[in-house]
Amino acid sequence: MAYTYGSAPQDGLAAKMWRVHWPVLIVAGAIAGIGTAALYSVAGGSFQPWAERHTLRFLVVAGVVLMMAMVRPEVWLKAAYPAYALALVSLALVPFAGIEALGAKRWLAFGGITFQPSEFMKLALVAALARYYQWLPDARMSKPVWVLVPALMIIIPVVLTLRQPDLGSGVLFAVLGLSLMFLAGVSAFYFAGAGIATIAALPIIWSRLHDYQRRRVETFLNPEHDPLGAGYHITQSKIALGSGGVSGKGYLQGTQSQLDFVPEKHTDFIATMLGEEWGFAGLLVLLALYALLLAMMLMMAWRCRHVFGRLVIGGAAMTLFVYVFINLAMVTGLVPVVGVPLPLVSYGGTAMTTLMIGLGLAMSSHVHGETPLRRDEVGPLF
Amino acid sequence: MSDHDDDERTIHHRFSRRALVVGGVQAAGLGALGWRFFNLQVVEEGRYAPLADENRINLQVLAPKRGRIFDARGTVLAENEEVFRATLTPALAGDVGAVLALFRRIVPMAQDDAEKIARRAKKQNRNLAIPLATDLSFEQVAKINVFAPQLPGVRTEIGWRRRYRQGSAAGHIVGYVGSVERLGLDDDAVLRLPGAKVGKSGIEAGMELTLRGKGGAQKIEVDARGRIVRNLETLDPVGGSDLVLTIDMALQRRVVDRLSRERRASCVGIDIATGEVILMASSPGYDPAEISDGISEDAWQRLAASDDRPLMNRAISGQYPPGSTFKMVTALAALQAKLIDTQERITCEGSFKLADKTYRCWNRSGHGSMSLHEALRSSCDVYFFELARRLGIETLADVARLCGLGAAFECGLSDPKSGLVPDPDWKRGRWNANWLGGETILTGIGQGYMLTTPVQLAVMTARIASGKAVVPTLVRRDPKEAAQPFADLGFAETHLDAVRRGLIAVVNDDQGTGRNAALGDGMPKVAGKTGTSQISRASSDTAQENLPWKLRDHALFVSYYPADAPRYAFAAIVEHGGGGGATAAPLVREVMAAVIERDAALMRGALVPTLTGREG
Repeated sequence: MAYTYGSAPQDGLAAKMWRVHWPVLIVAGAIAGIGTAALYSVAGGSFQPWAERHTLRFLVVAGVVLMMAMVRPEVWLKAAYPAYALALVSLALVPFAGIEALGAKRWLAFGGITFQPSEFMKLALVAALARYYQWLPDARMSKPVWVLVPALMIIIPVVLTLRQPDLGSGVLFAVLGLSLMFLAGVSAFYFAGAGIATIAALPIIWSRLHDYQRRRVETFLNPEHDPLGAGYHITQSKIALGSGGVSGKGYLQGTQSQLDFVPEKHTDFIATMLGEEWGFAGLLVLLALYALLLAMMLMMAWRCRHVFGRLVIGGAAMTLFVYVFINLAMVTGLVPVVGVPLPLVSYGGTAMTTLMIGLGLAMSSHVHGETPLRRDEVGPLF
Repeated sequence: MSDHDDDERTIHHRFSRRALVVGGVQAAGLGALGWRFFNLQVVEEGRYAPLADENRINLQVLAPKRGRIFDARGTVLAENEEVFRATLTPALAGDVGAVLALFRRIVPMAQDDAEKIARRAKKQNRNLAIPLATDLSFEQVAKINVFAPQLPGVRTEIGWRRRYRQGSAAGHIVGYVGSVERLGLDDDAVLRLPGAKVGKSGIEAGMELTLRGKGGAQKIEVDARGRIVRNLETLDPVGGSDLVLTIDMALQRRVVDRLSRERRASCVGIDIATGEVILMASSPGYDPAEISDGISEDAWQRLAASDDRPLMNRAISGQYPPGSTFKMVTALAALQAKLIDTQERITCEGSFKLADKTYRCWNRSGHGSMSLHEALRSSCDVYFFELARRLGIETLADVARLCGLGAAFECGLSDPKSGLVPDPDWKRGRWNANWLGGETILTGIGQGYMLTTPVQLAVMTARIASGKAVVPTLVRRDPKEAAQPFADLGFAETHLDAVRRGLIAVVNDDQGTGRNAALGDGMPKVAGKTGTSQISRASSDTAQENLPWKLRDHALFVSYYPADAPRYAFAAIVEHGGGGGATAAPLVREVMAAVIERDAALMRGALVPTLTGREG
């Protein structure tokens, strides 16, 4: 066998623990550690109110990753479609039963727990697409009908979130879904076609936008035009970053972000603070850690012996990448301000939980990478 | 090795290639971010790196200058005046209490106000400046600057104060500015400036965005004590546009003076060809200067709580039943629907029966046999009851809307009311009840649920005088833009003429109800319509003089002149003024006489020509 890797199914818990990809967890922990240090500084040199909770939260979800890794991937595979269906229903329910916060309805209360269906959907979509391609025989891979099915699985949640309106999640679903289809092996012509169609449709979309939406796009394309309106936060953020220089002002020494010039400095804009205190050098280290994490995850996917695992791991990596990219591009004014946190660094449980559960799914496939999850043993639906 | 393994191998090779592509995209993305950081932090470092470590860079908003407001001939209605004021930035002050104590020795301040500022300094963002005092004298500014080392965080700056020059004559039109009450995240940063003002009423509010302009910004480096070290970048503010209004203050003042003889009244005049409002008065009024200069709580309460509601611009916000002035619409609707012609006669015996109810004409003894012309002239209720019955409420309401009723005309002002053109849908929505035939009858003479504003009545008159969809405005159009003629409303000219002949008879016939509005020999011929809108049941049985003021009818009059080539349309209401012909018609005559005098003076060149006047 050319691709032998991983444990035999009958391995015990200790052996499985040995199979866990510890370097991935350690790098994730290092990034979370940067988050703790940054949150300590943002609070003016205090573990309260953010740094301590951030650390505890990471330790808890890291434990969850380990527990998920012990579970055989067949369990996740069987849960994929029901989870996707549940996520769709709860997404559809949001406009009617959702709780409104900060001007948008995104939360759903179930019993005593509130959760964000769009976060759940990110995981469910990855799992469901992975499960679909685990089943789909390779000969049908690029047949139009069998391309249409996953396309619909992506489009429906995209439309539902755009109606909330939650542009950020909608874009993330689309990017995630398309990259999974690409990784699965759907013919590249489809992606080229979709790209051309999108470019062709841009003028039509533009003409159908509301005036205020157009103004937002225009402000983004030309921020100097409106440094006080929509460009205000970005201008402040750029000043803080720029004042950091190559080596930064030193830990706990940032003046721009310590003051209240920068909004959301402990959540979405935390990179501003890092850039000011630790300078270009500090941000490069952070980027390198993310790059390392992504590279290790892609390697994990490459070494996995079944399609489900490869796609779940690839999906987790893609989610991480999209979060990192959108957040840092937003903070530096490359893309418009959308509420996306910096993974593992920003304060806040929702995004961290989503990412780490994604990592847990990936880890389960990695630990059981040798298991012959054969496509002919998986039914179309059950 | 089996086929299956071969398959698996091809699939895995493909996955490897694709994973490489995805990994490449991710690497490129992270690389782009690194490049961006490099540009912001290394290449442009000099731009934003402070000269000393404890310094910081501050983005300051620069206030734009608010646009001025002029009347049609260049008289200043609202302008800006330079004032010195002082602000306090809590983050720089250290001990706010001590700074305030010293500041109060230079600029006297009530204990209450000082406490309010101290509380605010604790609560709000410590880097935002709080206004301490406006209107500082030169000496005070000098003292503050001398004591600057002992007053950390206190800064003096030049600000602008709004000045209103025309007193109460233009109060309702110009409106006033006041402090910003609510701030949203998306709001203009200019509104976050200490002491920022926004329009609260009138043109100031209605044209806020035009008048406000765009804020500028300045990136400055300040040291730990808030002193400016250097200026990094400045984007100049763009001042708001000046506005030229269509009213003429000299004329406006005469009309306001005349109206002030009534307790509550309003009068509007519009140029039929352009829709320009040449006068708009509402009594009682207020002086915007009093309000914007910081009105005392007592004085404000007196204005806001007064029964006479001086703050309300009755011309656009006062809603009244149009009474008999509405009969011109009923007549036009019936002609247009071919339910009556100019020949048919209807007999008025003083009352009208529908189902088992009786509706009485104002003339109890009856008008006898009436044609359309005579019915308009004498304002016979029974005749119009019958027309309304034939028309039905829906057709009548449609024509009323065509004539401009039921729609809010803002004219550039804030908060116009839309009045009410009732119909069965409205009644079901509002009262959850079916429309009754009797309600149609009452609507036909402008009573019942129907409500109109004086501006709407002037528009209604202008539309019937011209047959065009006249839209009123108080803001003069940019003279460079070509005038857009108003669209035709689609009424047949013969029908309009039949109504207009009736309106001419109202003023010029011996039996007309509006004879008091006639201008006399050698003057233009006037067409008009009286209206007396009942507000209580008692009023129909008792002589008006014997009723308490509050129960008396509203007096209305609408008119246009010259009758054969209409140029101006007018509407006036005197609340509880009794009969329209007796009270409102003579008022409008005086207003028209004033307009004629003004126009004659303009022709002679005795007045400075308007800034961008109409031609001819």
